[in-house]
Amino acid sequence: MLSINDELKTKLTDLNGEIAKKYSPILNNNLDMKLFLEQNIGTIVTLKKLDDKELARIKEKGGLIAVDGSTNRKGGSFPHYIELYQGLAKSTNPDVDDVYLTDIYTPILSEIKENPLEDVELETDEKNWRLAQIEVKTALESVKKKTPYALVMDGGLIRYTIYAKELWKELVEYCLLNDVILFGTIKDIKTKIIGEEIKNRYEDLKGLIYDREVLFGQLQYKEMLVIYDELNKKEQSGFSSGFLRSSKSPNVIGIDIIEEQRHLLVDMARLVLTLTPENSRGVPLFLDIVDKEVKISDDLIKALLEKYLDRDIYERLFVSERDKRNL
Amino acid sequence: MKVLGITTQQEFYVGSKERNFRINEFLVVEDRQGDLIGEVVEAETFNRYIPLNVYGDFVDASVIESMKALGYDVDEETIYVAKLRLLEEALYPVETGSDVRIPRFSEIKNLMLRTRKEDGLCLGVIRNTDSLYDECEDEFKDLLYTFEERGLVKQRELPYIMDLKSMHHYPHIGVFGGSGSGKSFGLRVLLEELMQKEIPTIVLDPHYEMDFSDCPDYFKDEKRDFNGSFKCLQVGVHVGVKFEDLTAGDLKNLLDASSPLSDAMNNVVDVLFKNKDSYLSFSNRLQALTEAQEEGSVQRIQQKIETAKNNDEKEAWELRKELFMQYDKTCPYNSVKGILWRLRRLYNEGIFSKDSRDIENYLKDGFLVVIQGNTRILQVYSTYLLNNIYHKRREYKDAQYKRVEAPYFPPFIVVTDEAHNFAPKGYDSPSKSILKEISQEGRKYGVFLALATQRPTLLDETITAQLNTKLIFRTVRASDIDTIKEETDITSEEAKRLPYLRTGDVFISSAVVGRTIFARIRAAYTISPHTQNPFDELRQKKDEDDEKFMRIISNKLPISEMDLLNAVMEIERDEKITLAQDELIQKLENLYKKNLIGRESTPFGYRYIKL
Repeated sequence: MLSINDELKTKLTDLNGEIAKKYSPILNNNLDMKLFLEQNIGTIVTLKKLDDKELARIKEKGGLIAVDGSTNRKGGSFPHYIELYQGLAKSTNPDVDDVYLTDIYTPILSEIKENPLEDVELETDEKNWRLAQIEVKTALESVKKKTPYALVMDGGLIRYTIYAKELWKELVEYCLLNDVILFGTIKDIKTKIIGEEIKNRYEDLKGLIYDREVLFGQLQYKEMLVIYDELNKKEQSGFSSGFLRSSKSPNVIGIDIIEEQRHLLVDMARLVLTLTPENSRGVPLFLDIVDKEVKISDDLIKALLEKYLDRDIYERLFVSERDKRNL
Repeated sequence: MKVLGITTQQEFYVGSKERNFRINEFLVVEDRQGDLIGEVVEAETFNRYIPLNVYGDFVDASVIESMKALGYDVDEETIYVAKLRLLEEALYPVETGSDVRIPRFSEIKNLMLRTRKEDGLCLGVIRNTDSLYDECEDEFKDLLYTFEERGLVKQRELPYIMDLKSMHHYPHIGVFGGSGSGKSFGLRVLLEELMQKEIPTIVLDPHYEMDFSDCPDYFKDEKRDFNGSFKCLQVGVHVGVKFEDLTAGDLKNLLDASSPLSDAMNNVVDVLFKNKDSYLSFSNRLQALTEAQEEGSVQRIQQKIETAKNNDEKEAWELRKELFMQYDKTCPYNSVKGILWRLRRLYNEGIFSKDSRDIENYLKDGFLVVIQGNTRILQVYSTYLLNNIYHKRREYKDAQYKRVEAPYFPPFIVVTDEAHNFAPKGYDSPSKSILKEISQEGRKYGVFLALATQRPTLLDETITAQLNTKLIFRTVRASDIDTIKEETDITSEEAKRLPYLRTGDVFISSAVVGRTIFARIRAAYTISPHTQNPFDELRQKKDEDDEKFMRIISNKLPISEMDLLNAVMEIERDEKITLAQDELIQKLENLYKKNLIGRESTPFGYRYIKL
């Protein structure tokens, strides 16, 4: 039988203690977090779901397009792997065809220097870059086919300004010109806006504090925290943001909207709320559907590579020891 | 429609985005090997997003509705999948991606309609063939009606025609199904068809339900008259056994039918029954012997002879003495007594008062003869009757073979419901041996069986094995489903559907066709006499009684509680009905409660008045 190393148990117990200590101001509730949020971060509003009339109006104006991307990697460590990117833009309007775009990347064919430490970063950059590119490209193509009422990107918008600057600019301009609302929903928020503010006030707090840690369980179902413009400006990202508890799960999701359309943030939050099942993780069903359709399964990738690459090349370069492990 | 996934030579999946599949429908696969015909054995629909489990989340209806309002219909993501089984194994596995289409009538005519309607029994429709109906020949159209939820419906599927002539090779029919599954009704349709074809048929009817003179309301316009084609005969009333024709063997069969005879009792019959005995002579002989045995010894009987008051008595005792001396050693008293009791019981049931000549004559005329009686009597009588007529038919055929003259006797079909009572598994019964004999060699002589039962498990296995065509209605018992699975070519998918079949839907497993057909029995032209709901009957009877009583008392009203006695007397005088006072009050109260008469209070109690 498996026995658990005692040292591991002790270490885990210690870790729990450390974490509890770090978060004691937040966990101990000696800070009225809701009050703090309202005073320093933004206004908390309770949202109503859209009714059928409002939904019908959205439909009339072209419906909603959701964009998501996926990556798959097959192979071992640098540079012996191959990555596939796929972007999908799907419209709620059944007359608009789905837009799929794909891209492939392998470091074997690129000219990256042989510095393993640097390379890790470059690798990640490369991946982010390509994924962001393909998502924005997909979005552009789809929007140009038929103008929707709104375009929702899966994830925060900041990513695109970093990794796909030019294309993103084009997309924003196109959207503004054609009255398309452009926003993003973030399932896994990674910002620290609130954390930074808390740290400014309580000096004994050390280290990084992320928003998801703070907001866990703070908002009620249907409540939204709309961040004050001053704070948004401080970030200088060019977006307005908010956090929304869109389901009964205590986690919140984030919503970004381009600054020019910030007056529509709450409306978009209501749309997101309407499309999210009450007893779910908080992600709008339509985004889940797009996410599911854009993903390529590992088995399929394997089958594709086996079919279209020479056996020699495939085995020599892209089959890692790990792939053959079967214990 | 396309072939999906991994395929084999026999089975594979077919998918479609537009068309839902139906179980048991036929589809043609346009494979590289040529067109292949298959039957749908499982049908499923599948939606990737409903009832929803995208990443473990449940979707509520409001979200789906909201998405619909946005224009995105999740329902459209539904995919239809069917498992198709080829009728004949292909040479190679079917190519994935091959197109699949609905067959044309000409392609599957031979699978469905091998028999012309003149040569077969038109029992119903083949389920899920409506897409082919328009193309089929006129000969097969408008033959029948079926009964669906919304009432009587004109035929719109291909007819199921059971090949009659093939019974020569695949003789016997089994009809299985639980109560309420449509089994008796299927049997009725089968019998109607036999009558229309004028096939001589014997029906053993323990339920008194196989009467074909009543026509159901829904067929008032298209009434079919079967009155010249069948005859209901009750054992003991219309038909019986001619005692003088019995052999010792027949008699033993008859006596054996209710419960088996002991060896000693068999011996009593063998020893005491003389050829050409009449009931009277045989029973008197038994009676005399028992009386002698009651005396106990020759000396005592001798004493009786000597003290006889007159000559008759003396002679009688002398006869007893003779019997006693001859038979006492071989026939124990108790056995003789037992035989006598059984014999009297049969006699009292009237079996010996008539003969079976009528049955034979009707059969010769191509009639359907329904033999009615309670289960016990039928067991007794059928043993005798079937032995008798089966052997007559056999003698005729054997004589023909030997090229000698013998009286003609036609081929015939024996039909019975509750067949497990006549041929039970596990123990012997006299009717079982004759049914077994017919099941095994009746084919040669043109004698066929159609046995219906709700408990195929209880039916003798040798007989079950001989049933080449089986109609299987809804069956719920697991043991019966197992038996059916064992005895037919029904697939496990079909067996799984058995408990859920609708009344009147049936799997027909036929050795002629070599596979199972899913059919629906047609609407019967006649109706069983037992169709009145017993609760309706109760109400009707009550209303009739009330009405009758109203008539009696209406001209005697008002009746006050004071002079009930007068009223009772009046009723007795006028109607010859005697009522007690309490009874009269109760009846009046009853009418008052139903608002048929009025009631008013007086200082001397109630007074019942006209309304």
